[in-house]
Amino acid sequence: MTQRPWTAYYATGERTDIASPAYRTLPDLVRSVAETHGTAPAFTCCLPNGMNGTLSFQQVDEMSDALAAYLREVAGLGQGDRVALQMPNCLSFPVAAFGVLKAGCVLVNVNPLYTAEEMARQFEDATPHALIIVDMFADKIPAATRDHPIPNVIVTRVAEFFPAMPRGIVGLVQKYWDRSVIPVETAHTRLPDAIAAGRARIAKDRVEVDAYHQPVTSDDIAVLQYTGGTTGVSKGAMLTHGNLIMNMEQTMELLNSNVTKGEEVALTALPMYHIFAFTVNLLGFYWLGARNVLIPNPRPLSNLKRAFENYKITWMSGVNTLFNGLTNEIWFTDSPPRHLKFASAGGMALQSSVAERWEQITGKPVIQGYGLTETSPVLTFEPLGKARPGSIGVPLPSTLVTCLDEDGNEVPQGERGEIAAKGPQVMKGYWQKPEETEKVMKNGWFLTGDIGVMDPDGYFRIVDRKKDMVVVSGFNVYPNEVEDVLAAHPGILEAAVIGVPDDVAGEAVKAFVVKVDPGLTAEAIRAYCKEHLTAYKVPKRVEFRDELPKSNVGKILRKDLRAEELAQVAAE
Amino acid sequence: MVGAFEQALLALMIFVIMLGMGASLTPRDFYLALKRPYGLMIGVVSQYGFMPFIGFLLITTLPLPSAIAIGVLIMACMPGGTTSNIFTYFSKGNLALSVLMTVTSTVFGVLLIPIVLVIYANALDLEIPRENIIATLVLLLVPVAIGMVMRKLNANVGAVTEFMGSLLALFFIVFLIVSWVPRNWQFLMTTTPATYVAAIGLGLFGITIGYVFARSLRLHPRNARTVALETGIQNGPLAIAIIAFTFSGDEAQSYMAVPVLYSLFIVIMSTLVTLVFRRANTAAEQKMPDGLL
Repeated sequence: MTQRPWTAYYATGERTDIASPAYRTLPDLVRSVAETHGTAPAFTCCLPNGMNGTLSFQQVDEMSDALAAYLREVAGLGQGDRVALQMPNCLSFPVAAFGVLKAGCVLVNVNPLYTAEEMARQFEDATPHALIIVDMFADKIPAATRDHPIPNVIVTRVAEFFPAMPRGIVGLVQKYWDRSVIPVETAHTRLPDAIAAGRARIAKDRVEVDAYHQPVTSDDIAVLQYTGGTTGVSKGAMLTHGNLIMNMEQTMELLNSNVTKGEEVALTALPMYHIFAFTVNLLGFYWLGARNVLIPNPRPLSNLKRAFENYKITWMSGVNTLFNGLTNEIWFTDSPPRHLKFASAGGMALQSSVAERWEQITGKPVIQGYGLTETSPVLTFEPLGKARPGSIGVPLPSTLVTCLDEDGNEVPQGERGEIAAKGPQVMKGYWQKPEETEKVMKNGWFLTGDIGVMDPDGYFRIVDRKKDMVVVSGFNVYPNEVEDVLAAHPGILEAAVIGVPDDVAGEAVKAFVVKVDPGLTAEAIRAYCKEHLTAYKVPKRVEFRDELPKSNVGKILRKDLRAEELAQVAAE
Repeated sequence: MVGAFEQALLALMIFVIMLGMGASLTPRDFYLALKRPYGLMIGVVSQYGFMPFIGFLLITTLPLPSAIAIGVLIMACMPGGTTSNIFTYFSKGNLALSVLMTVTSTVFGVLLIPIVLVIYANALDLEIPRENIIATLVLLLVPVAIGMVMRKLNANVGAVTEFMGSLLALFFIVFLIVSWVPRNWQFLMTTTPATYVAAIGLGLFGITIGYVFARSLRLHPRNARTVALETGIQNGPLAIAIIAFTFSGDEAQSYMAVPVLYSLFIVIMSTLVTLVFRRANTAAEQKMPDGLL
């Protein structure tokens, strides 16, 4: 397919194709942007009480250089070695992420809320040589690395790089009031010490940081971004420097006419370990020369109040849940951000009622994008002012999207088929899982697992999902993983997990359980799941059944349960 | 009753606390409270309509000697005090509204206190010490304004000031209670139950009625909490100053009984109410799904 009817919807001046990435690698991008914007504020981390710290473009560039030197010279890492990064949004995130990439290493984003078991599974697959983690979650390291020790552990904290006074106060509050930070027992280096050591190496031994990433090409892996796994085993999408730079550029191309380089103030409330915020917020806002206001924890939403009061936010990205939540906060509706130009949404479908209410309150639209971890992530977007209810919009520049039948042939326009994509943002494959890669790559097309339809003018709509995956507020949950945990419970005979519609999170995890222990309660099951799974994977609803629907070979039929559930919703 | 040194110390503490409170505010908070003066009007009605009436009901139903009864009435007619701002802050109420209510009730007090006293006490001739009124306003507005400017100039300085101010405020609350008891132990032992009921009831009913009234007029719970605390918490020191200014000797002593007693119990009561309000605030918070960190 070479026809791209959707390009008619691009704004004037938008490129339909981006020939090649503007930078060879991400370290080149980091350096070049820092040279342009110098001492302007690049990242500001704003805590719920308004305490904050700021790093300029120059500081981020210099500190990430020093960290790269530490990783290579002191920790002894080599090109292509994996480094796991496990932290919420904070000033250490850009320093660590850019430092890892400048060292020529591969960044592995890990959800900081993962349980030790989940961490262990990801570490087992990615075999990181170093872990950079925030102190609040460091208590999980011993259990998570028991079978796969990580030789270098670097510990940072949420208020890292803040001025001394607020840093001290935050430290005391976390230690004595919240008790959210306990002493780290694993042998480790503190991030500022690692940076100081790297800096010393640069000064003393005249180490050239650029030499670490010179051999790296745009086709080399920059990030291993894990998506969970259909069989409970994590799959790491190999995203290259080229993938990420191109997707960042493709996405920014849509926004170009609305933003001015070096003048924007962006709000990052979504976690940057998630691919949407990683590409759009961390890379995109940085490239724009924007001041990026990082929110470590947006829950409760009142945690965002000070950031909105203290900074003239011109742009924010979020998920449906966040936009919906904000429109229900009195402080937000009373005093909506006056400098906002627009907002962008991703991660999960944006409900049109939410988009409308948002626009009513702020007077500014939300641009919605669609994509997957495997596509760095953005594939399609809704052109400004031309949103269609129920649609995911039109493909990005340089991106082909179509619908394929079971055999991999394009279906006639208007008919259902699996949405498939081609473009510079499609991953290289799954890390060390060629057979999994093969399943999703067909004739050069990447198969999304979403069933969709294309309108005559190139808009796409999603009508179903091929995989059993549940998307809870932007995060993928694979039923197998939850079912495995449930099945291991002695009081449970068997269990099935599906996604059900949910007003708040879009979809919620629901478990159908056949119990052997008659005294087992839904609460007890949820509590048990919480020990083994990150909170968003824990079933929100639990229903007890005498038996589960099965095929004649004994396979549990999730689709029957789903049909029952949807019929019930429809009846209500 | 309170020495000059202690008074200066208290004033200094209030100044620092209000500096911190101010650092939690922006001009926009005041703009918003003024843009919809509905809450402010409800506050004034509650302050000068309900409170004196509650005081009046208490003195007509309870067996109180007339000197005590006058103390109750004077206390009931007082404007809101700085303490109400502190408790509003901790209750997660609308601090800008609280400050504005305190200012309004204090300014209008000059006019309204005599009128209310005419209605309920057949023109009890009180001297209202203007310098006390002015001092109250200065001690409230100056630090709040400075705090706001500090935050505007540097968000970290503002946040640290707010943090220190709130710590000091907690200390202040404990200090008020702890220093009060030994100073007035003898007085506590000799006071009659009816006086206790009057002194406690004034604040308790004030807070309750203020809340119910504000909620029945559909104010947001955040603003209703503010009106409740503002209504129930009166400016005790002002009452004491007015009495000291107008009367002397034994007469002054017995008039002061209720204001002094009230000052202790309102702090204890407000602390409890604040805990309830905070819990209500947490319960009303939106539950965000776990997908978003």
